[in-house]
Amino acid sequence: MKTMRDAFFDEVFKLDAMVVTADMGAPALDKFRGTDKYLNVGIAEQNMITVASGLALSGKKVFVYAIMPFATLRCFEVIKSTICAMNLPVTIVGVGAGFSYEDSGPTHHSTEDISVMRSLPNMTILSPSSSGMASLMASIPDTPTYVRLDRETLPEIQRGSSWDVRCPGEGLDYIIPAKTVIITTGNMVHTALKTGFGVMDIYKLKPLNERLLLKHFEGIERVVTLEEHILDGGLGSIIAEFMADNGILKPLKRIGVDKYYYDYGREHLQKLCRLDVESVTKTIQDWVQPPNM
Amino acid sequence: MNLEKKAFELRKKVLDMCVRAGTGHVTSSFSCVEILATLYEVMVPNDRLVISKGHCSPLVYAILADRGVIPQEDLDGFAKDKFGVHLQYNIPGVEITAGSLGIGLGIAAGMAYAKKLDRESGTIYCLLGDGECYEGSIWEAAMFAGHHELDNLVAIVDRNRLAVTDFTENIIRLEPFIDKWKSFGWWATEIDGHSTEYINMVLNWYIPFKKPKLIVADTIKGKGIPFMENVPLWHGIAPSGEDAVKAQKLFEDEL
Repeated sequence: MKTMRDAFFDEVFKLDAMVVTADMGAPALDKFRGTDKYLNVGIAEQNMITVASGLALSGKKVFVYAIMPFATLRCFEVIKSTICAMNLPVTIVGVGAGFSYEDSGPTHHSTEDISVMRSLPNMTILSPSSSGMASLMASIPDTPTYVRLDRETLPEIQRGSSWDVRCPGEGLDYIIPAKTVIITTGNMVHTALKTGFGVMDIYKLKPLNERLLLKHFEGIERVVTLEEHILDGGLGSIIAEFMADNGILKPLKRIGVDKYYYDYGREHLQKLCRLDVESVTKTIQDWVQPPNM
Repeated sequence: MNLEKKAFELRKKVLDMCVRAGTGHVTSSFSCVEILATLYEVMVPNDRLVISKGHCSPLVYAILADRGVIPQEDLDGFAKDKFGVHLQYNIPGVEITAGSLGIGLGIAAGMAYAKKLDRESGTIYCLLGDGECYEGSIWEAAMFAGHHELDNLVAIVDRNRLAVTDFTENIIRLEPFIDKWKSFGWWATEIDGHSTEYINMVLNWYIPFKKPKLIVADTIKGKGIPFMENVPLWHGIAPSGEDAVKAQKLFEDEL
């Protein structure tokens, strides 16, 4: 099975587009090397963004690529002042969602990117939950786009018919309808599927498909959000804001990351912040039916 | 019209615009009047100009109006309802949204690289302030342009030796400035930035090297209004009251 980035860049290769990388590789990028489609600016993410903007202002369609915190936070203001301020067709591809870089410490963990990137008014944010989905997201952008890829190979998920036609346009997939539903994204979709609760996969975090979400919310009684991301401004905030804006008064429980972790191993890290299947299941069970004190 | 006369009229116009608006970077505009007035004369249709020091906007608006790209009457709306203090890409004749210092050179380098890819003629010009050369992104872009031998890229630094609050050499030394550029793979030279003759000459020089070209234009911040020249506190300020009268008096008579 292909990794997310290989699945993604194999599709990008078929497009009339360039990849500008800050010296970040991927097996799928090897075929780009030595062609006009490939430009390595070195470990200089800010320059990756400005050069990509110059290329876009010259009519090129550009994908930029780096490890997630550096592709986003490191050059956030440059992204704002170039790609966003001029509404350029540039896709920012970050690899390493959440604790993907499990052994690299908090510098490489990406647990703030959703909060930060969603504050940019015209930024589309895509967050695939499998390699197949990532490949569907590789298309020529018209406007600023941010794709957050997991470093791990996330397996395909059993879904309803024709969902791939609706991805990424529709923005979400209500995989298991239920009264208590975990709304989640990326790798945590796989965790949610093992809990026995309902699961909704939001793969377009911005703009949110509010129309479809409103329809699905009619049958939902309790909402849980689950993310390998800081709670402030992340998916939980997106859903809480959606509910508040639409006057939806239903119980909401947000589960996510609370601080920086200096431990190693993704499973271990998830256990520490109670994002493993067992902890998530227990948190929700205790919330739905508080244990007798 | 000769360029000295043009420069005089542009200064007069910029001063009027800023006094009327009560804001605008008068001194930062005045240091690069000769540079931009000459550059616009030199440029041909396939060339592009990226203005990284976007706070010289009143000067750019005045030039664009003079060249008929935007209506003259729009200049009255400077810093009001027409144009902001920083350049925006949606204004005719303006290539990028500027204001965030240090980003223009990378964008210009991207444009120059695109021209190389497309085997397209023309030069990408980039106007930088010296103060923004503290930004690391400038040197990331300088390294990129030097490595890729972008000989279709010409950057001009308005070296007025002042940043916002102080002289550059007091804040953090930029010197030996030209040597830094040379060591990054650029062909670089230094000229009097208020001499339209020298600016014109150096812009037209053919350089027999596959290198981006860097012109350090030695200038005076606030050039043309003696009491505002080389005074750090005049950064980003338009003269008002008696100062405005005194400044505008300097441009009363035709050159």
